[in-house]
Amino acid sequence: MTTLSLSHFLLTSAIIFVIGLIGFVTRRNMIVMFLCTELMFQAAAIAMIAFGHYHGDVSGQVFVIFILTVAAAEAALALGLVVLLFRRRATLSAEAWSELGEA
Amino acid sequence: MPANVLYISCVLGAIAIYLLLRPRPAALKPVAVILGLGALGWVFRSSSLAAAVDRPNLFFYIFSLIAIASAVRMITHRKPVYAALYFVMVVLSSAALFLLLEAEFMAFAMIIVYAGAILITYLFVLMLAHQAPQPGEDESQPDYDVIPREPAAAVAVGFIMLALLTDTIFQGVPQMRPPPSPQQLQAESWQIVNLLPDRIERSARREIDGFESFANSDPSVRMVGDTAYIDVIMTGSPQVVTVEAPLSALPENVERVGLALVAEFPVSLELAGVILLMAMYGAVIFARRQSEISETAS
Repeated sequence: MTTLSLSHFLLTSAIIFVIGLIGFVTRRNMIVMFLCTELMFQAAAIAMIAFGHYHGDVSGQVFVIFILTVAAAEAALALGLVVLLFRRRATLSAEAWSELGEA
Repeated sequence: MPANVLYISCVLGAIAIYLLLRPRPAALKPVAVILGLGALGWVFRSSSLAAAVDRPNLFFYIFSLIAIASAVRMITHRKPVYAALYFVMVVLSSAALFLLLEAEFMAFAMIIVYAGAILITYLFVLMLAHQAPQPGEDESQPDYDVIPREPAAAVAVGFIMLALLTDTIFQGVPQMRPPPSPQQLQAESWQIVNLLPDRIERSARREIDGFESFANSDPSVRMVGDTAYIDVIMTGSPQVVTVEAPLSALPENVERVGLALVAEFPVSLELAGVILLMAMYGAVIFARRQSEISETAS
């Protein structure tokens, strides 16, 4: 086995990010789509902390705290929206809302 | 790292994810798993770059494999609740990766905030939106959970992007500024200690026998070469003695993150508070039942 380098962590981060991207496009359940965005946030956090460790700087970790804040805000708002939409159409399918209008 | 390895394993990984996403041919799933694992192993094996960070690397491979496998399972699992639980696995194993990167605070904050708070909210909403099966038919999955949308196009786009990203990583990382040496890092940490006079006094009292007070009213660390010194007055003698500063005065990860947060990024911290407040308002407004307000009412 080789010794670890920054690239190993960046590679893991890139793979998880792309998996989240594919999941966001292919899944049709609204909640799972939002979960996939959380997966992408997670990948970004790994990259930030890896860079921060490489440079011996804690700014990377401070960035992750802000990512966490935005993720929490996004989860609260997105899930509130999903509950609202679910009450109207009784489905979680994203395609049910392909036309945003009065329903 | 030859570029061919990268591209071939991207193609293999793309085929694996595509096969896993499709609901129908169940016989091909083990093939896809082997294909994906092979591609992953090949990439990591051939990425023997100039080592910048020496870590016990077995843990990295274990946790990164768990994270990637759970992420794949999360986007391929039909049941949304299981997808959320697999996401908890991703969060836990990436917290372990944070520990390998010496970011203890973020590792535990990640587990508490993500796995503890955000995911519970997701699970609550999933349970709220769960439709009970009709009498007479067994637990069936709704159509939108079973059939993926455009898997071939999504996988193609995703893995072309992955090839681009990894290519950039492998070309860019060797050109980066070399990381600071451990001595430089320690010297930087001593600079931070100078901002925390209480901390250095506490560890001086604990570690230096006969410590009376600091020679100056404002205790600070002097750097001579790579070693840090402090001027102290010992009990029972009026002379100023210069001793080596105790290493326990060096700030830990939590302290460094906290100091950076309030000293370097105070405005961003306030902005984060505003974002959270706005999200709270928004969530309250969304969650409220619509009530009719007639305009003619006085």
